[in-house]
Amino acid sequence: MSASLPNYSSRGLESPAGVATESSQLRAPLYVAWQVTNECNLACLHCIEESGPGKAFRDELNQREVFHVLEQLMEGDVPYISFSGGEPMLHAQFFDMIEYVCERGSQLKIETNGHYLTPDNCARLALLGVKAVQVSLDGASRETFNRMRIRGDFDCTVEGIRQLRAAGVPVEINFSPTRFNIHEIGAAVDLAFELGACSFYSGKTMYTGNAVKTWRLLAPSDDQYSAFFATLHAKIVEYSGRMRVSFHEIGLLEELRYRLRHPAALLIVLVKLLNALPFVCGDFRRDSLAEIWSNFQRGWEDPRVASFVEELSVNPAKTSSLHQWVYL
Amino acid sequence: MKLAKYTKFREEKFGGVLFETRSEKVYCLNATAAAVVREAIPGLAEDEIIERLITRFQGTPEDIATQARGFISNLRQKLLLED
Repeated sequence: MSASLPNYSSRGLESPAGVATESSQLRAPLYVAWQVTNECNLACLHCIEESGPGKAFRDELNQREVFHVLEQLMEGDVPYISFSGGEPMLHAQFFDMIEYVCERGSQLKIETNGHYLTPDNCARLALLGVKAVQVSLDGASRETFNRMRIRGDFDCTVEGIRQLRAAGVPVEINFSPTRFNIHEIGAAVDLAFELGACSFYSGKTMYTGNAVKTWRLLAPSDDQYSAFFATLHAKIVEYSGRMRVSFHEIGLLEELRYRLRHPAALLIVLVKLLNALPFVCGDFRRDSLAEIWSNFQRGWEDPRVASFVEELSVNPAKTSSLHQWVYL
Repeated sequence: MKLAKYTKFREEKFGGVLFETRSEKVYCLNATAAAVVREAIPGLAEDEIIERLITRFQGTPEDIATQARGFISNLRQKLLLED
């Protein structure tokens, strides 16, 4: 081997993804976002997955299948995984799955609504070594939070975050703006910092899932969004070096157009190209990780995907069909 | 020296990738850069890494050392490597 200059190129991954144009050269995904169950204790007005009590998918993986998938992800050397839902902490093998991943050296993020963050559970998360727990905190007051997160409790979530920090678990906060909580964005960022979060994430709420049915209650005005993003830009400066404030200003359509060039994937039982698209590129009950990865590469080049995205630009209501899955 | 806590390295046909999972940034490495990172993983000191690279790569020891030190410094600045 001759010595050439050590060199690298960088690519930002703004959401679960492969490496932009280089993804076809990767031997496996770098990031897998796994929606471990669709069951949830809450029924949030904006839920992209339409999760809720009794909403578990009928064909969710059993214990043997779950660990077969994990085994493949570990053998594929997938370095970063997230468990989301629904509410992932409701999954019967939740802690066993975490233990399996963390013991094998992959980094793991949990995305939760924060209602099961008891001191014992937080201590277990710390002991197992999760990379971070991301908690949805859609408001800086119980009035807005509880209105948005049906069956949810602001005080319970805040207490859960405090328990995470007490246990030494890195905390990330996610905030979804709506017409009735968007004015609290500044206070929400401040609260996240006060609670000890290391990162704060936000962006436009997507017109999909439950939001299609509740949009007239949720959709912020353009003026509201302008003030919202101005506040977030100011908060980036205010918390520089202390807490990462990160957000994207593009909407769902722009996001999907971006993803046509920078592929991403979502793992349920089936593997979707992206949660905001109906296209399925694999089934872990039937296909190996290598086969799904190959299908994933081809899937983003399927003309039906680009057509679907462009149809969205003239018919935004098409997002209501996102859960009518299309097999590529 | 070692990979930073939130940095993961994976070998690829083209070299390798460094994945900083807090910022979710990916750095694609050519084969030479991947070799430098691979040597850092066992926790070797910078001088030890360079000695090993000199034995593995063709080129003058000075050139290899200069290039490797520059690259390692860059990785440190990006908080991908730590002591």
